[in-house]
Amino acid sequence: MSLLKPFSKLPGLNTANILLVESEEQFQQSLADVLVEETSVTVNVRLAKSLPLPMENDESRPRIDLVVFIINLTSELSLQSAEASLKYLDPGYFLGKVCFMVTNARNASAPAERLDAVRKLAASLHCPLLFAENQTPDGVASATERLLTILKVAAGLVPIATGLYVSNLTRCTLPLDIDQPSFD
Amino acid sequence: MADGRAAAQLSEAAQSELLDICEEQFAQLEKLQNEIILCEPDFCENPQEQSVKRLIATEAELKQWSTVEPQLLAENSEILLEAGKEEMHKLCSELEMVASCFEAKRDKLKETKELILQDIKEKIQKMKVYQERLMESLAYILEKHVPLPQEDSSTNKKKKNVPHEIHENLISLNEILEILMNKALNTPHDPYVAIDDTFWPPYVEMLLRYGIAVRHHENNFKLRLETFF
Repeated sequence: MSLLKPFSKLPGLNTANILLVESEEQFQQSLADVLVEETSVTVNVRLAKSLPLPMENDESRPRIDLVVFIINLTSELSLQSAEASLKYLDPGYFLGKVCFMVTNARNASAPAERLDAVRKLAASLHCPLLFAENQTPDGVASATERLLTILKVAAGLVPIATGLYVSNLTRCTLPLDIDQPSFD
Repeated sequence: MADGRAAAQLSEAAQSELLDICEEQFAQLEKLQNEIILCEPDFCENPQEQSVKRLIATEAELKQWSTVEPQLLAENSEILLEAGKEEMHKLCSELEMVASCFEAKRDKLKETKELILQDIKEKIQKMKVYQERLMESLAYILEKHVPLPQEDSSTNKKKKNVPHEIHENLISLNEILEILMNKALNTPHDPYVAIDDTFWPPYVEMLLRYGIAVRHHENNFKLRLETFF
């Protein structure tokens, strides 16, 4: 099974690599355009429809610092594709190098159960859950900013803060955490 | 990992020291990387069962942080100076942001305070006007139906058979009520008014009978306004 591994390659200098996984391949494009405009750090954006990533690029691909799953709440396929892709990530990624981003949360055609399912998923994996508005440039810009904050930490570019540390603080929680596994 | 710095401002000695530090760090990184790769990979467990691994990893990190000691970035004072300056700039701009944020908040709060004060002032004004009108109506009604008792004609609608020994400066019912009201509002700790000859006894009786006023429990010549319905 070709797992994507978090630490199998050396990091680049002052570089952060982000992988955007979206089955609809729309929002990831506009996000990518804004992400690369960041000046203080060299941001490399890789786009994918789903995991696993093609083997041919394995050698040339840099080490991925953050994997973002973009889920469109109006499409069941989007959620299923993301869930299926999770299996192809090395478990080491879930210690602060994975993030979920959800779009169309306010859309009337998005059933509430789907959002609940995404929340449960993010909470069980202890990953942050971001809500983004993908129709306006402002929405894209603010989503980018938030991603960059998490990305910089995951890439080790922020002193003192590590991905694990921050993800413990920003993880998604459910209103009633009865189902959460406890640390007993 | 030392970040890339504008080397143009540093002397050669400082530059070479920085490069040496960078090389050292990179060598360290490569060593660690090799160790990681050689480590036995985890068996592919269900990604949902992360809690234990997370706990172990967090504890390891915590241990690492608690053992680390602060050390100088470099021995060269030039490098330290440049690094310090940059940190100060960053800190200043961040603090400015925080300051402007709080100023905006403060201004907004002031505004809402102003609005609320305005509101309350208007309400008080309205109440004052209302009270004026009530008092006017009261005066009008009393004047019409309960005027001052005259010496000769018995205009008292209650038709009490009282001997007409009225030569004093009797005050009207309106005035009696006003005195009682003012005393009750101005000195709530002592709302009692002493009755004297200017109070026409039938009026006093009327007020007592309808529960508008009550006597002082010890002194029958003192009267106060009562809450009545």
